[in-house]
Amino acid sequence: MLIYLPIAEIPVDPFVILFMGAVVGFLSGMFGVGGGFLMTPLLIFYGIPPAIAVGTQSSQIVALSVSGVLVHLKRKTVDFTMGGFLVAGGSVGVVVGIFIFRYFRAMGQIETFISLAYIIFLGLIGSLMMVESVRTLLRAPDAPRPRRKHRSVEWMAVMPFAMRFRRSQIYISPIPPIILGFFVGVLSAIMGVGGGFIMIPVMLYILKMPTNVVIGTSLFQIIFVTAIATVLHAAANQTVDIVLSLLLLSGGVIGAQIGARAGRRLKGEQLRALLALIVLGVCARLVFGLVTPPASPFIVVGGP
Amino acid sequence: MRWAAILSAWFMLAPAQAAEIAIALTNDHVEVDTGFSGARLTLFGAISGIEAPAASAGVDIISVIRGPATQFQIRRLLKRGPIWIPGNTHAIKDAPGLYLTNANRPITDIAPLPDQALYSLGTDFLIIDATQGHTETPNAAQSGVHNNLFAKAFVTEAKDAGLYRDRIGGVEFKKGALFAINVYLPANTPVGDYSVAVYLYQDGVLLGRDEAELMVNKVGIERRIFDLAHNQPVTYGILSVVISLFAGWIAALAFRKS
Repeated sequence: MLIYLPIAEIPVDPFVILFMGAVVGFLSGMFGVGGGFLMTPLLIFYGIPPAIAVGTQSSQIVALSVSGVLVHLKRKTVDFTMGGFLVAGGSVGVVVGIFIFRYFRAMGQIETFISLAYIIFLGLIGSLMMVESVRTLLRAPDAPRPRRKHRSVEWMAVMPFAMRFRRSQIYISPIPPIILGFFVGVLSAIMGVGGGFIMIPVMLYILKMPTNVVIGTSLFQIIFVTAIATVLHAAANQTVDIVLSLLLLSGGVIGAQIGARAGRRLKGEQLRALLALIVLGVCARLVFGLVTPPASPFIVVGGP
Repeated sequence: MRWAAILSAWFMLAPAQAAEIAIALTNDHVEVDTGFSGARLTLFGAISGIEAPAASAGVDIISVIRGPATQFQIRRLLKRGPIWIPGNTHAIKDAPGLYLTNANRPITDIAPLPDQALYSLGTDFLIIDATQGHTETPNAAQSGVHNNLFAKAFVTEAKDAGLYRDRIGGVEFKKGALFAINVYLPANTPVGDYSVAVYLYQDGVLLGRDEAELMVNKVGIERRIFDLAHNQPVTYGILSVVISLFAGWIAALAFRKS
């Protein structure tokens, strides 16, 4: 059985798409990450045009983040003030990102650009995670963990307009969150990711937000930013395939439930090493795709 | 004098002897829906002026199906450093979106070269205009060669994608003057207006031809989605977000208990 995707304009096997959604959902449930950075490359490997993979991912992440944020709203673990500044920066970032996207699309290099962006980010994050988790795994279990130094980030202290973020219980300038939001917004627009994998570490280690509000607040930002990205991708590039998005989501929510259960049985460090391996594997596959001589030296695009 | 008279009489008689061919489609409307994985199209036809065409040797039929004129772009992948990236765009102007020929034996054996060129019988005789988007080569002659290369490459790519195909077979001579041609439209059949032409040959001479029209339409929900996304992209984008928000909420509800 094949389903014809209305925007991608190709017939696909819906069960393969559901399965892909479930696999990424499983991983995201297990590791507690969004999974956008794995889904877009998978879609590209399956033959979905990269530009459509990115546009469609935006709408799928909206759905995933909504279902994720509801729990955090109930637990009151969303810092709306912080979220507001992140969204403000993110909205501008998305617009800039869409312009970059359009520029490379007009040049006909959007495929290469998306692949390269993914290779850089997956390579960087995968290596960092790998180094970190191998170091932890190699450390003798009895040895004391090195104490993280509690030094405040000096450049943050000198920023103007410092204010209190009540739920995060921090007193900082809103400028760093705006910059962070902006940067994540750009990434979101050009890569079809939520950006949690960048945002969460920055919130924890640079903004010094408490762990319990970090996920809820980042989901809150991701909903708005990916929603804007979806509308802009649809308006400017016609690259949002809602049928593909809903198929992925259906597989994704089921996979996430199973993944969350599986994740409880594994230790944190093992999990991180495993995720690092997967990230590096996807990165290697993208590199392979760019460096191997193509089967046919020509590519044809176009339609009526 | 007498010879001339006979000759002219013969020439005048010739058209009367000419056989004719006529076709009809089983359905002149093909609908592409969500589950479209290709369709079989049957052309029915009749030949007049030839006694028992199936039996008599040297009777050949060629059918040509031409999809809507489509703008394509073709690019060559170039090695830049360690990676392969697409080079300059060559626009392919008004190439048929689909081009399928069927014949009972190889077209080159059926029709003489001038006919093949005149009627574009077979993918080798398609006229493809691969104008260069940017100047890649300095002189005109070289760029002509270049365009030719891209035009040839385009046909090869279209064949690989299943959009262009020359097929020997599918032509069945039925009882008496009737024949049928079975054509398979691939899953990636583009939408639009098609022309269907059949050519009747006997011993390398074109005896008659006929044409019909075919329409390929997108129907069902995905046609509406496509139209909305392209005609009202902003509305479509907002609608996508609303659907996603709703789907996410449903997903959260569905798994709340477990």
